[in-house]
Amino acid sequence: MPVRVAIAEDSVILRDGLVQLLLDRGFEITAAVADARALKEAIGRERPDVVVVDIRMPPTFTDEGLRAAIELRRQHQGLAILMFSQYIETRYAEELLGDDAAGIGYLLKDRVADVSQFVEALMRVASGGTALDPEVVTQLMGASRHRDSISLLTTREREVLTLMAEGRTNTAIADSLCVSEGAVEKHVTNIFSKFDLPVSQSDHRRVLAVLRYLDT
Amino acid sequence: MQFEIGRAYGGLPPPEESGWPHSRDHQYSLCLICEDRPGEEFRALPWLAGRSRRPTPRAPARMVITWGSEPNSRIEEIARTIIETPFTRRTWSELLFLLTGIPIAFLGFAFIGVTLTAGVVLAITFIGLAIIAIAVRGARGIGGIQRRLAAALLNEAIEEPRAFSPRPGYLGWLQSALRDRTGWKAMAYVAIKVPLSIVAFFTAFSVWWDAFRNLTYPFWGIANHGGLAEWGVIQVLFHPGYLSPWNSGPIVGLATVITGVVFFFIAPWPVRFFDYLDRLLMRTLLAPDAMTVRIRNLERARAQTVDASAATLRRIERDLHDSTQAQLVALAMRLGMAKEKLADPDHLDIDQVANLVNDAHKGAKEAIVELRDIARGIHPPALDVGLEGALATLAARSTIPTELIATIDERPSPAIEAIAYFCVAELMANVAQHAFASRATVSCSQQGRWLRLVVRDDGIGGARAVSTGSTSSGLSGLSERVRTVDGNFEVTSPPRGPTVVTVDLPLRA
Repeated sequence: MPVRVAIAEDSVILRDGLVQLLLDRGFEITAAVADARALKEAIGRERPDVVVVDIRMPPTFTDEGLRAAIELRRQHQGLAILMFSQYIETRYAEELLGDDAAGIGYLLKDRVADVSQFVEALMRVASGGTALDPEVVTQLMGASRHRDSISLLTTREREVLTLMAEGRTNTAIADSLCVSEGAVEKHVTNIFSKFDLPVSQSDHRRVLAVLRYLDT
Repeated sequence: MQFEIGRAYGGLPPPEESGWPHSRDHQYSLCLICEDRPGEEFRALPWLAGRSRRPTPRAPARMVITWGSEPNSRIEEIARTIIETPFTRRTWSELLFLLTGIPIAFLGFAFIGVTLTAGVVLAITFIGLAIIAIAVRGARGIGGIQRRLAAALLNEAIEEPRAFSPRPGYLGWLQSALRDRTGWKAMAYVAIKVPLSIVAFFTAFSVWWDAFRNLTYPFWGIANHGGLAEWGVIQVLFHPGYLSPWNSGPIVGLATVITGVVFFFIAPWPVRFFDYLDRLLMRTLLAPDAMTVRIRNLERARAQTVDASAATLRRIERDLHDSTQAQLVALAMRLGMAKEKLADPDHLDIDQVANLVNDAHKGAKEAIVELRDIARGIHPPALDVGLEGALATLAARSTIPTELIATIDERPSPAIEAIAYFCVAELMANVAQHAFASRATVSCSQQGRWLRLVVRDDGIGGARAVSTGSTSSGLSGLSERVRTVDGNFEVTSPPRGPTVVTVDLPLRA
């Protein structure tokens, strides 16, 4: 059964492109709308598996998409949401993640250029996982007060940290770095011990733990 | 009749050229159009035209004018004015101003007198200086009250002087207060206001008093002979008994009432005269000095410039975000899809890939055009070769046949060139969109240290530079932009045209 997607994006070119791309990849599109209000109506009519929302939409062109997403999460328990934006604002990421990173994604629009990775991220979010843009991690690391602990990380550990924060499983991280799963597990354990955090088994819980740590 | 005036424009157009109604003296024309009676123009009465100052872009574009039909002759006009004046609101508020001024002047004088005297006497001690400082601060307060009264009753808007901003600490306050020019000037005002009030009371007000006395003579004259005090300029000058209430008899009574009627129509004018003196005094002593006004204007202009550049950046960001970025993301997405399809040769559908590449190619070309338009909006590349060349490009690109006359000897500074360019670009866009013109002329000439731009079209006219509340038309946006460099922006655009927009810019900003 195909994954059902609703899209809210005000740029016609991009919206059409996304629809074309997702249909091509075997998704089902339940709605493709241009603003937050239309999105809420569409979801009220038919609940999709995952919603792709542009953060900046009419009428104020600030963060209506984010507001709509938070509201939708409250109304529809467990609705997966992929925020889609030209910029990464870590504040938005935090607001969206709240206490639950399950079924949440936040990606730069540029990421659609790598179609497979984008589709993979969307699938991950749709099935209750997490997909954060590497940019979120980079920004948080840059602004973090825990520079000392970050500087203790090896290059490989940083790569693992970024991929982990994106929401990937150990298997996926191992694939993408061309190492064994055991090696990844070791890196993850190292990172958590350097950050002085308890190791968590659930993928999206450890995302939250890492983000919270970097942000405080 | 009172109309809400939707449009007011003025200038010094030669009547034969402009073809729209003008006042008799040709010195200055003010043309008014009622919003609820479009198509009808009302020529400004000479008295209105004479009194109005040439509207600068600063003048409010909306005004309410109490309108009477135009009199046929000068005598009729004067007679009408005399008859109407006692019944106007203005007359009574002027009288009220005169009367309220008296207690204020006396109380103020008493306050300043007491504090200043005490201060001078005690000047040897520290307390004396403090008391003088209090006198200066008090005088400033009295000045404020007078300004508010003048605004409310005389419609005389005197700008607020710079606010009192004492230096920190008690000593700082004392020093600032003692050196407060505004306060000392207000003190001088109160000192002059006292004798002025006394004279005004016994001359101007006494005419009103006599008018009242004589008009009400039949009522109180019978009941209580000579019950009222005998004072006032009329009584002093014409004391003889023919006006005196105790010379009773019907003819005398009638004469008294008639005199009262005459006084009634004369009375507003002495009051107006003394209020006029007071206005002059307030303008001199209670208004901020020229430097303060200049600084205030500069501050306003600076704030506008800062806001305008922030708005420009926001607009550019929005343009980039909405068009180019979205276009490029879509482009990357299509190419990404094509790339992945090509990477899988087993299920290759060459038509599908060709479509994707086609769309991507089209998108790339659109992005280039959009990017070029945005770049041109930031800084027109044509300006690099000079204003004349840039204007020639503008004129050539216009959809309306446009003639360009440009004579610039000295190149203006880049900022001025940019403002001039954007003004002409915006004005020509207006001509193309709204004027229904068949041809347009752009002239650009150097006049001393000024650059004068004139954009003229033969369209339907009726252009307006109205800024009501937060919304502002393109014209008022331009006017604001021109004002930031102390330039001048003038629109004459009567219905049926022609529209002439004149922009004066300093060569160097």
